Amino acid sequence: MVKETNSSIKKKRKTTGTDNDAETDIYKKVVDFEEKESTNRESSMDASIYFSMCQDIKATLKDIYERKCLKTVDVTGNKEGLTDICIKLCIIKKLNRIDKIKHVFGKETLSAEKQKCDSIKLSYQNLVYELHHLVAETNKCLAFKSKDEEIELVSFEEFMKEAPESLTQKFKNYSESNAEERHNLRLARLEWELTQRKNLAEMCKSLVEEQKKLEQDIVERKEKLNMLRPLLMNIINATKPLQEHLDVAFDQLRGEHKLAFLLPDPLYIFYVNVVSYKNVYNLSLVINILGDQDEAMVFKEAQEVSTSSQNDEDSEQESDLPEVEEVVEVKKRRHRKSVQQVDPMEEKKKQLLERHPLSVEIIASIEKGPSITATFHYYTKLKIITVTSKVNIPSNITANTAREILSGDNILGELKEGDFGTDSPSPTTPFQLKKIGVNSYQSLVAEIGYAYTWAQGVCGLDFLSKQKLDSDSVSSANVESVVKVLLKRLAARNDLAKQLQQLEQNIIPKIPTSVEAPSNPVSALVKWSSTTYPSFCQSEFTQSLVEEELVSSSDLYYSATIRRGNANMQALIVLKNNYPEVPPILSLCLNYNGAYHSANCDDIRDLERILNTEWKRGEASSSWLLSAQIYYLCCYMDVYLESVDPKVFPQNSMFLKSICGRNRKRPFKFTKVGTGLFSQY
Amino acid sequence: MVRKLNKAFYNTVLSQTFSPCGNYLIVGDIYGVISVFHLSKIVQPESNLNKEELTPKNKFIVTENFQINSLLTTHTHLIVGSVGEIYAYQWKHVKNGKNVQPVWTIAIPEQKGAFNKTDINCLLCNDEAGYIYAGCGDNNIYVIEIESRKFVKTLNKHKDYIHCLTINGNDMISGGEDGLVNIWDLRTYKVSNKIQPHLSDKVARSELGIWIGALSSNDDYVLCGGGPRLSLWHYRFLTNSSVFPIDDKGIHVADIYNDKVLAGGQSKLFYQMSFVGDIISEIPTSAVTTYSAIHQQEPFSVLCIAGSSPKIDICNNFMYKNQQLSLY
Repeated sequence: MVKETNSSIKKKRKTTGTDNDAETDIYKKVVDFEEKESTNRESSMDASIYFSMCQDIKATLKDIYERKCLKTVDVTGNKEGLTDICIKLCIIKKLNRIDKIKHVFGKETLSAEKQKCDSIKLSYQNLVYELHHLVAETNKCLAFKSKDEEIELVSFEEFMKEAPESLTQKFKNYSESNAEERHNLRLARLEWELTQRKNLAEMCKSLVEEQKKLEQDIVERKEKLNMLRPLLMNIINATKPLQEHLDVAFDQLRGEHKLAFLLPDPLYIFYVNVVSYKNVYNLSLVINILGDQDEAMVFKEAQEVSTSSQNDEDSEQESDLPEVEEVVEVKKRRHRKSVQQVDPMEEKKKQLLERHPLSVEIIASIEKGPSITATFHYYTKLKIITVTSKVNIPSNITANTAREILSGDNILGELKEGDFGTDSPSPTTPFQLKKIGVNSYQSLVAEIGYAYTWAQGVCGLDFLSKQKLDSDSVSSANVESVVKVLLKRLAARNDLAKQLQQLEQNIIPKIPTSVEAPSNPVSALVKWSSTTYPSFCQSEFTQSLVEEELVSSSDLYYSATIRRGNANMQALIVLKNNYPEVPPILSLCLNYNGAYHSANCDDIRDLERILNTEWKRGEASSSWLLSAQIYYLCCYMDVYLESVDPKVFPQNSMFLKSICGRNRKRPFKFTKVGTGLFSQY
Repeated sequence: MVRKLNKAFYNTVLSQTFSPCGNYLIVGDIYGVISVFHLSKIVQPESNLNKEELTPKNKFIVTENFQINSLLTTHTHLIVGSVGEIYAYQWKHVKNGKNVQPVWTIAIPEQKGAFNKTDINCLLCNDEAGYIYAGCGDNNIYVIEIESRKFVKTLNKHKDYIHCLTINGNDMISGGEDGLVNIWDLRTYKVSNKIQPHLSDKVARSELGIWIGALSSNDDYVLCGGGPRLSLWHYRFLTNSSVFPIDDKGIHVADIYNDKVLAGGQSKLFYQMSFVGDIISEIPTSAVTTYSAIHQQEPFSVLCIAGSSPKIDICNNFMYKNQQLSLY
């Protein structure tokens, strides 16, 4: 086979040598041929040929070497061998060439394949990019919102019910899943909405026009009414002579009622209730409305305006607080420089303490006795009722202490327990006052009057529930009880005044026979005067009462002196506002061989106990309770002195044992047996 | 808020006693009301006491407006000396305050021609003999057998009413408004000895009277006081040993305890003194006059001082006031 190839190569060389004209052609042919050959040949075969060639060359070289070593003369064999080797080298060279060509071919295909691969990758990347773009686009589409979604539509059910058949028919079998249908429905509903809105807008326009027309009408009618007023006034004026002639007081009543309508709500409620109560029970109450009508009219109109814009006001109030702070700062700054303008605090105060121009006055009186005038004012900003009072003292009461007890402000205090009127019942007042720099309501009392809780009650202002409640039932229930209490209080004070009138002349008033009392005490009242809370507190023997808070500055204080011989009893008397329900409290000090009182002597303590706690007759006792206490004090003082020092004080009272028991009790219990007997039990 | 004056403000405690267990304080006042305080809770508080815990746990009325002059604790009963009658209550009823009714009563015989019933000013108990001794307002001391509630003997040597009694061995000592201190032999019911403190110049205070308000004794001495000054007398020789220099307007409480003398009465202070008259402690009292002071060591040490006040002073160490109870 090798020989064959060799021959073929030789042939080729021969042909190339012979065919000179088509040299390029031949070269190309050769190249083609070689390429073909290289592709057709098997490499392994070539390898084996190559190895066998190498083997042969080796063998031939060995032969030559051996021959040379033998130093044979036959050189031909050597020459033959050399030729053979040359041929074989050629073959090897040929093999090398084929191999090289094959290699080049392989490289070329590889690079072609690589290029193909690259282009595929590029196109793939393009596709990925496109995909991303498309996804983004779809998302954008999906996220799309149409303006129509913001429009509030009537619900589907309503639409089906109200829209005309032609529109709704298609959607009788409407199912949520069908997108097409859904879209159609949406369109239909939107259209329906549009038509409806158009209709409504038209209706609105027509109504506005109608309103305008009506307004005009109203204005016209008002004008007519206004014209009517002077006419009516003329008629009324014309009837006046007739009224006078017939003695009917329509006019006055009408005037009062007209005023009543201008009253603020709380006072109106009170007025109505108290007038009705008075008319039913025919009481000796006089009820008046004080104040200027025109001013009240102006006030009412102003208030109507403000209530219509109450919401605004509320927000204003909220924003008020920081404003005030600013004001304070401003004030400080000014203070340094010296005050130039009106104090803004004062201005605020004036505003807050705004009073309704009308007030209600009731005058209660007792036959042949004093009368009390209580005036009720309404503070519109504080929203509380305040009361000022005045007592008209009859001329027959001349004693100082008696006048005092009637004229004091506290005649209205504690009509209900603990109600002194010096604290505002409204929980909001302290904050309002703080805003204007007033610490307590008490400091305003002198200026604006007492804010009794009962006064709020009768006017229907109920602060207990911490909310304004213009309830009529609250008021009417209160009016009755308050008027009753008020009259009772006045009667009690009148009784007290009568007693004080006599006491001041050192006469102990007569006690009714229904009250068991010893007869003819020897000890006698020698002095009666009024005193004050501070001086009461200063006395040594009153400490326990003060410490236990049994007395307060709102009570009335009197001092009495009772004497028998050398013995001298000083009694300090505390009159509570709700006399006689709470009996007067007596605090005693006996001056006889030293000072004895409840803090250092059990007998005086026991005496105080009996004088202060043994009375339970209620209101019926108001006309004699104080006198009875003083009278008893005189009697017991006799008993005490006679039992302690019988030599100096001859026995005048009846008692069996001067002392008994471990506590050496004195006979301070009176029993009406015969002329009367004192005993321990 | 101004409080109302009520009669509780003028209340006076005349007698006190401890329950047999020592955990309760029983107090009788002039309105005939017995108040029970849970003393152990107050003396050994678990937490801070509020005002309510310092007021009575429960109350009951014995006879309205008849003062409770004396109280006596026996193992089984609380015995109450009121006016005219002695009442006995069972402890469990007293403690729980429900349905308190006397289990028995003894009426003291009425005096002839007397308008009032008799005060039972002092009650004593002799467990061995089973007797109660009652010192009364009719000048008599009655000896009563508890079991049968029968009067065993009436001792009538006093000329005015009896203030106080004490027992010392076989002797009983009584003090009265008449100024006598009688020492009785309980075996014979005879007066074996007597002291008249008002006859001694050092002791007498004529402006306050001769009455003996309180007495106490141990083996060697008799302590007594009242109108006369508080004074110590030898038991055997009946001579004056010492006079106590305290500022008072009448003694109502006198006690010998742990070789010390406790004394109180119409005075701002409650005194603790040695036998020779040195003042060991002075406790300011809430009451104008102290009518009762009782003490115990077990289950806890406490001294309760009460008198003409609705307040009761409590001392744990006998030296100063720890706590104040109130009847209302």
